[in-house]
Amino acid sequence: MANLNYRTLLETNNYLRSLSDTTYWLCITRTVQESKLFPMNPYMLVSYLNSFYRLPTLLREIDSATPAEELGDRAREVSLKVDTVNAAWGMPAFYLIGREMLMNWGLIRPTDAVDDVVDVLDFSRRFNLAYHRNDGHLTNKEFGDRSQFLPERTLQVFESDLHGVVPGDRLHTAATKLVAQLSQYAFLAHCECRIGLHNSGPYNFGDNRQMIMRDFFDLTEGDYPWLDGIASQLPFNNLTIPIVFKGTNFHLMDDWASFEAEPGYNAANIEAVGMYTSDALTDGYIPVGMDNADTLADTMEQYREILNEATTDLWKRIANWSREQMIDAGAMVYSSVGKDFAHLAGTYRQDYWFQIDERVQRFKPLLNDEYGRDNLGEMVGLLGLPHQTSNEYTMARYSDLNRNMLTGIPFSVLTDDDYAPTAGDQFTGSSSLPEKTGLWTTSAGRVDIDDYNQRARGFTPAVLDGRNRFLDEEWVKWNHGTPQADELYRLTQRGSRNLEGRGSGLRRADLPAAREAKE
Amino acid sequence: MSDSAVTAPKWGSTEMLPLPGRFNTAVRSLVAQRRAATDCQWKDVVFERQFDLFSVDDARAVEQEALDSGYRFEYSATVSLDSEPDKYKRVDREARTFAEGLDSDGRRQVGVGDNVIKKSRTVTGPVALVSTIEQVMEFLTDGIPPGTIAVIGDSGGTLTAPIIEGFAGVICLGGTVRSHLGILAREYDVPTLMNCKINDLKNGDVVELEVTAAPPASDAYELGDTGHARIWLIENEG
Repeated sequence: MANLNYRTLLETNNYLRSLSDTTYWLCITRTVQESKLFPMNPYMLVSYLNSFYRLPTLLREIDSATPAEELGDRAREVSLKVDTVNAAWGMPAFYLIGREMLMNWGLIRPTDAVDDVVDVLDFSRRFNLAYHRNDGHLTNKEFGDRSQFLPERTLQVFESDLHGVVPGDRLHTAATKLVAQLSQYAFLAHCECRIGLHNSGPYNFGDNRQMIMRDFFDLTEGDYPWLDGIASQLPFNNLTIPIVFKGTNFHLMDDWASFEAEPGYNAANIEAVGMYTSDALTDGYIPVGMDNADTLADTMEQYREILNEATTDLWKRIANWSREQMIDAGAMVYSSVGKDFAHLAGTYRQDYWFQIDERVQRFKPLLNDEYGRDNLGEMVGLLGLPHQTSNEYTMARYSDLNRNMLTGIPFSVLTDDDYAPTAGDQFTGSSSLPEKTGLWTTSAGRVDIDDYNQRARGFTPAVLDGRNRFLDEEWVKWNHGTPQADELYRLTQRGSRNLEGRGSGLRRADLPAAREAKE
Repeated sequence: MSDSAVTAPKWGSTEMLPLPGRFNTAVRSLVAQRRAATDCQWKDVVFERQFDLFSVDDARAVEQEALDSGYRFEYSATVSLDSEPDKYKRVDREARTFAEGLDSDGRRQVGVGDNVIKKSRTVTGPVALVSTIEQVMEFLTDGIPPGTIAVIGDSGGTLTAPIIEGFAGVICLGGTVRSHLGILAREYDVPTLMNCKINDLKNGDVVELEVTAAPPASDAYELGDTGHARIWLIENEG
């Protein structure tokens, strides 16, 4: 439980205010999201409440098994669902927005659940600091809407091993079609929200080229019960597609993993692509179909076919759901954004992440479509909840209004004890959806959850094992060429088609480029 | 903070939108009454007696009071209207309309929007208004007529998930270029205008989309500098 003192409260309120400003900016650059298929706004409100009641207990269990900063180290080395949009922004923001709803209804005061708020934000801050260790920022917004968490050793492997393409060739066509299909499928599998896809970067690849990472998560049988039997021919649950662009400056990569470029994103400017998988059990990125350009095109075409069929299958399944099933599914997609922390720590339990807590169920009759839309808009766009207004002299970041989305913790908790420090442990929950019956798709094959947890608890990637964990980019600057640095680089170079065993001394000019299409 | 009396926030008034104002005020009043009926400290009530402060029956009562007054809700997902038809208004919200006018070249402009992908040529085709699962199922079964430009009311990507690639163009009446449908349009390279205001278009009307227009600048939605791509009516079925 939180160590409550003036310093921890100062740190908590600082981080909370930063999240409040950033989230407001993210919201006003979109409109309220709606779908004719999913009652999105009602399910989002359910999810925020579910996060408020359940997340602190779940995070404490995870943190005691694997500390948040170690989880940040793990997420930094590969593409996992605990990423910018899910874990770095969504998890704390959803929790805090749930708190705002309850505060507005008079069901809690800003001092209540203070231990929970401090613990959730402390976990989130420690994760983010480690996740962003290489760029040294807490959020993408703080870094000027940029995200560069990968180390040189990983980027060198990408630059050497990605396959060159030119518009119209087989691999270029296969890659652009697969990315489109993956995006479409990810929105559907995640009930019309964007958390199944992720973008990061850009990274400077020289010669007026930039590389962005495009990640797609939870593609087949795993945590989501509605994916049992869907896309089951796909051997991996997560795919990452690094893409190199020429003449395209990605000037914005925000905390919702959205990007903007000048000139705009144009497939005609793609120069090289690759494909990898990673999950809680992989030791770095695992190449998928990367032996040569033809094999990669074959693999991408095959996956595109599987996912095209899966999109239709899943759409038909969802189209038959009741309103409550759609709300439960969407709410659980949102409130489970931190679930992959539990996979990393080996503490995952299906019912903990995929049920709606009974304390939340009581609010559902309020949440018709119109109230869902307008209350969400009120809370995150207009900032019109009565308690969101601050004194009349203030001017908030971005809006200049005397309104803030998220409410700080009054420091009076240090002297006044009439507040409840925690919402307490999980209550029972329920779901209107069919129970999960399938297995979990991992890089170790399809396994049951006990096996998955056991494997995760006993696994540490080699680049994070022992003293390797603290060999960061600053250390490499001063120690390249030493046996220890070479060994670190060789760990990442395992499985690389062009860099296996090359060590730490390489710079860009030394890399064997693999741009077959241009040669 | 230890004072058990309910104090309204100092600088706030009430919600800006009517339904949140109505519902949230009702919940706040009810919770305050329940709280006043106890003589315990707040810390012993807030979570220990949370179901006494507000229950599922209380939520039903708040909604019922609105329905009893004759209020009917706007729906967004068609499943909501289908499952509880008596609770929702049957009509869609009015689309944001465009003031019809002749363009400088004499053509009839019937809408504006935000271009997602800048193309070298405009796109012309008959429109199909797509808003229900049944329509999508028909397109899945029968295929999409070549050249069809979909008019989609919501900015989500899931209603049309299995068929979006088959459209020659999309007019989306909501969202921004960063919305889900905008993202998918870019990935599939489907000419698309988001955030559109249009006149009343009917199935079969042939329109031209100015997808040659520049997409909005990155700060356009903060500045309100949007709606620069035009839509013209070329001919209609009547």
